[in-house]
Amino acid sequence: MSDKMINIAWMYPDTLFLHGERGNIMALVRYAMELGLTPHVRRIDLGTEDFDPMEYDIIFYGPGEISSFRAVMEDIAGYARPIAEYIASGKVLIATGTTMSLFGEKITRFSPDAEDGRGEVIDGLCMIPAESFEREYVYGNDLDIRAEYNGYSMELIGNQIQMTDIHFSESEGYQRFGSVIYGRGNNGTDGIEGVVHNNSLFTNMLGPMLICNPWLTVRILRTAAEIKGIEVEAQDPEYKLEIKSLGLKKKFIEEKQNNQEK
Amino acid sequence: MSSRTTRALLTGKIGNRVIDIIDKKRGTNWAGRQAMKIDPELISHITGIDPAKVLFITGTNGKSSVTNMVTHILRSRGFKVVSNVEGANLITGVAAALVKEASLDGRINADYCVFETDERYLYKIREQLSCDNLLVTNLEKDQVQRNGDPDFVYRKIARVVDRFGMKLFLNGDEPRSCSLADRTDRAVFYSVDKHDASFTKDDTFVTMPCPKCHRSIRFDYYNNDGMGSFRCENCGYTNHNGADSADYTATDADFTARKFCVNGTEFPMPYDQPYMLYNYAAAACACKELAGVTEEESAAALADFVLLEGRIETLEYKGNHIKYIRFKQENPETLQNFINVVAADPEEKTVVIGIGTVEDYDPYYINSFYTFDCDFSRLKDANVRKFIFTTDTIAYDAANSFIYGGADPGKIEILPVSDEEKILEAIAAEGCSNVYLTIKLHTFEGMKEFARKEK
Repeated sequence: MSDKMINIAWMYPDTLFLHGERGNIMALVRYAMELGLTPHVRRIDLGTEDFDPMEYDIIFYGPGEISSFRAVMEDIAGYARPIAEYIASGKVLIATGTTMSLFGEKITRFSPDAEDGRGEVIDGLCMIPAESFEREYVYGNDLDIRAEYNGYSMELIGNQIQMTDIHFSESEGYQRFGSVIYGRGNNGTDGIEGVVHNNSLFTNMLGPMLICNPWLTVRILRTAAEIKGIEVEAQDPEYKLEIKSLGLKKKFIEEKQNNQEK
Repeated sequence: MSSRTTRALLTGKIGNRVIDIIDKKRGTNWAGRQAMKIDPELISHITGIDPAKVLFITGTNGKSSVTNMVTHILRSRGFKVVSNVEGANLITGVAAALVKEASLDGRINADYCVFETDERYLYKIREQLSCDNLLVTNLEKDQVQRNGDPDFVYRKIARVVDRFGMKLFLNGDEPRSCSLADRTDRAVFYSVDKHDASFTKDDTFVTMPCPKCHRSIRFDYYNNDGMGSFRCENCGYTNHNGADSADYTATDADFTARKFCVNGTEFPMPYDQPYMLYNYAAAACACKELAGVTEEESAAALADFVLLEGRIETLEYKGNHIKYIRFKQENPETLQNFINVVAADPEEKTVVIGIGTVEDYDPYYINSFYTFDCDFSRLKDANVRKFIFTTDTIAYDAANSFIYGGADPGKIEILPVSDEEKILEAIAAEGCSNVYLTIKLHTFEGMKEFARKEK
């Protein structure tokens, strides 16, 4: 086994299957190799019995359908304590899109038949101080944020397809992942996007965000390597295509903002 | 009939006439919208409709094609059919089609009503128009900005089935829509057998959650993205909801001879894209179940079937033969179909890909998600001379996704513009006469217009 091995757990890929998140695993693999690391990806499906979080350096959860949340929650409950220890140890967990809600305190589903629109309540994992409410209507848009991760500040552009609004207040050990430049973020009111706790990040940004923002991908990999005690000698790769792409997207977003102001 | 309904009918008829003068082929909700402003319950006031002879066709992909096909087959058999074949599939589109055929006293004189229905408007339409038959083509990732996830649409359709108890015609090879069978004791399945264009994907790709237990669905092979031989290893859910076989199965597909069979009867294949097999099987199923049209009669009718939209269009420009394939940017299936069509052509070719912003709803946004659900591996041996990526928003992301998918970066040209003239110039400069193009329809229309002026 390589002494530069980075073990990546791809959680429930067929259940948390929305929005092309496979791309994020491909980005982790590509940039791990560019940094001289040896990535190893294992799919963890619902019902996988020998999953031990501490065997991994990065654990990735993509977004899935809310209808699958109970099944996912039941599975995670089987290793809730080890996953909490994993996060506490400073290892990297990434949860994107609606899956961020699972790690909060509770999720209130929308009910068209209830007067206040509030229906079934699903208990969360209580690993971040956040509460989620399913929206009556989906909110889909671009998301441009100034993110902070492990001491680095960077601009990220991606998307959010918001099925739940999330309410989170910063407290010791629990910071915002980013501040919203354009888009909705957690709930469209407080300018906060996502949550960072230790080195684990929970974000509404979804789709191939690690492909489009490789400067974050490389920070994540360097963090995972550092926690594992692997020295990474390689310089950061060049991001020629991605920087050009960021420029096109910023221009598009600016034009949208200008049109909104008119 | 109330005077309000009469006024609504007259308004709708005049509106339809106006639209006919402007553009006969244009599917429109406009006339129906004007009529329903006057009488919001207009559809329920139209008489002479037998619910047993009404069919709604819904789903993510293929509903326009199947609606066109079913209507064509029934009309070929001499039936009078009211349909929204032009594709206006909201409640106002259905109203416009009914108003067009209704007499001034609001009576429909037709043998069958066949309506393409938007998944989200199905409940509203069914509330006003009694219908005993529902065909669901498939339910897949699509239009996330309004649907969020496929289960959202499933719940919309399930609500209709639960309340109104319809007979269902279901794609037995697509797990999500097939599972609607649990909600009725009147489900009929159609299916497609494995054929030469069937394919597999390795486990670096995602499939989907089992609609019954949420664990992994495994596909032994795909006939089309998201459809094929499937099973859930946890709960045992499998094709045609566990029945040994589908009621209607397309078999023996021969894409060279352009023919296939349904339940042993040979059919012509007017359009030879593999995904069309599901549409043919669906149409044969619906026509027999609804109107007793035999497979032989459907096969005969299909020989002269012409699809109003969706086929491969061609454009000649400076000696280049450009084959245009429409794709829906908000789901992976149509891009995968494009890739499969390109890969099936052994000749040297230029491939032009114009993934752009999604402009269905406000706010417009950037979405290149689904390139990562697609399998580009067959393009490696597809004799592609050059990939050209265009659009002034996503050209670099789209190119990057193909590089991740294994495309040779040396064969990639990025043209970050959406200008029709520049795209045509780039195609001409490449000098390969065999060109495949997928891009937004309005950009292609602009390219056609520019090429016409250049002649």
